[in-house]
Amino acid sequence: MIICSDIAKSYSHGGRHKRVLQNVNLAIDRGDRVGLLGRNGAGKSTLIKLIGGVEMPTSGKILRNMSVSWPLGFAGGFQGSLNGLDNARFIARIYQRDYADIRCFVEDFTELGNQLKMPVKTYSSGMRARLAFALSLAIEFDCYLIDEIILVGDQNFQRKCHAEMFEKRADRSVIMASHSPDFIRSFCNKAVVIHQTHATMYDSVDKAVELYDAL
Amino acid sequence: MKGSSFQRLRTSWAVQVRVLHALMIRELITRFGRENIGFLWIMAEPLLFAGLVGALWHFTHGETEHGVGVIAFVATGYIPITLFRHGVARSVAVFTANQSLLYHRQIKIVDFILSRFVIEILGGMMAYLFMAVVLIGFGEFPIPSDIGLLIAGWFLYAFFCFSVCLVIAPLSEISEAMEKFIPVTTYIMIPFSGLFYMLSWLTPQAREFLLFSPFVNGMEMMRKGVWGDDVTAYYNIWNPIICSTIATMIGLILCRRVRRKLTVE
Repeated sequence: MIICSDIAKSYSHGGRHKRVLQNVNLAIDRGDRVGLLGRNGAGKSTLIKLIGGVEMPTSGKILRNMSVSWPLGFAGGFQGSLNGLDNARFIARIYQRDYADIRCFVEDFTELGNQLKMPVKTYSSGMRARLAFALSLAIEFDCYLIDEIILVGDQNFQRKCHAEMFEKRADRSVIMASHSPDFIRSFCNKAVVIHQTHATMYDSVDKAVELYDAL
Repeated sequence: MKGSSFQRLRTSWAVQVRVLHALMIRELITRFGRENIGFLWIMAEPLLFAGLVGALWHFTHGETEHGVGVIAFVATGYIPITLFRHGVARSVAVFTANQSLLYHRQIKIVDFILSRFVIEILGGMMAYLFMAVVLIGFGEFPIPSDIGLLIAGWFLYAFFCFSVCLVIAPLSEISEAMEKFIPVTTYIMIPFSGLFYMLSWLTPQAREFLLFSPFVNGMEMMRKGVWGDDVTAYYNIWNPIICSTIATMIGLILCRRVRRKLTVE
């Protein structure tokens, strides 16, 4: 279970203040698939980063009672100057997994072949998405944080994600930000709408999507 | 209850060791690659520095100074100071440079500084050892008379360098102006580092004053450990210990504050 109690986040730079989130109270149970909806800049990625522990909330507390993946998104998690396999080895080390197993899974899932021996900074966003998913699936988290990135993949990747994450790992939790209401409707059982620094959880995805459409 | 907290401590320790190990290997690969001599490059720079400046002094100051070999004297001074300078240079903006690693919660920002610094320490020690063995072969370096004192001095010196890095890393994140002052500061501190002199060569007033510098205390210990009865050394081990502890505390507090506000892309 993940509990966000009364979290607020503001950024300040050069004397300017921006309040991104306030009074956010959420509880995510094991097996919940939560879609995050909100306009650009509403704070979807910020919320994902806070839940993932990448950034700290300005106030409030986040309690994690299950293992939570790092946010799978366009940036972060990898060292661009290292190649894919070195990154895999690094991640195997810090999460205490067997590198040989991880490598097998990564090679099979990403289908990147020799590209895995190229620096990650030369990868397209689709290729990065493949690598990030492969690694986090190989580590087996209880909860996956996904920031937009599934939709950058091609058909083949989306099919694979679907099979691995939503069928084989149907018991896991997922929190994902997406701009595609259809996607959220078909995969999520709950949705959070973020608007004007407030995040509200809805048990009915349809209702949340309706509200989001009206924004 | 006691058992479980002990267990927790052990698990955390295991995580810490794993993370440091992974970070160090990653740092070595990104910095030195796998080509030619690979990570042995870490001792290349201290060695070149010590060797070339030593040779320069050899020709300008003569073979010995106050009864100690000039090359060995310069080498024993330059290797520790490269540790300091590299440590500081590597700490500037270290959080921004490594921010993609913060996606993994088990990695803390102090680990960035620690892993880089451990690499510098190992490089410095390898360079020291290599240089001493070669110079001993040429008869330019004495067999250290008290290895224990030499190592103790080295670690006190390194501890102080590390504590300074702990302060500089978060400060460089808070203010970009800091970054501009660092090269000139590391240059200005050279006279206070004990690099070019033994305290016994100086006037008593200068000696009193310089004994406030933790670097000088560490350096005197190292040189006493190398030359033994051939030199007179003045040092107080509590100075580096106290200074480093205070700086470490300040550094850790700053790191914690900076981490809370760190924006990660």
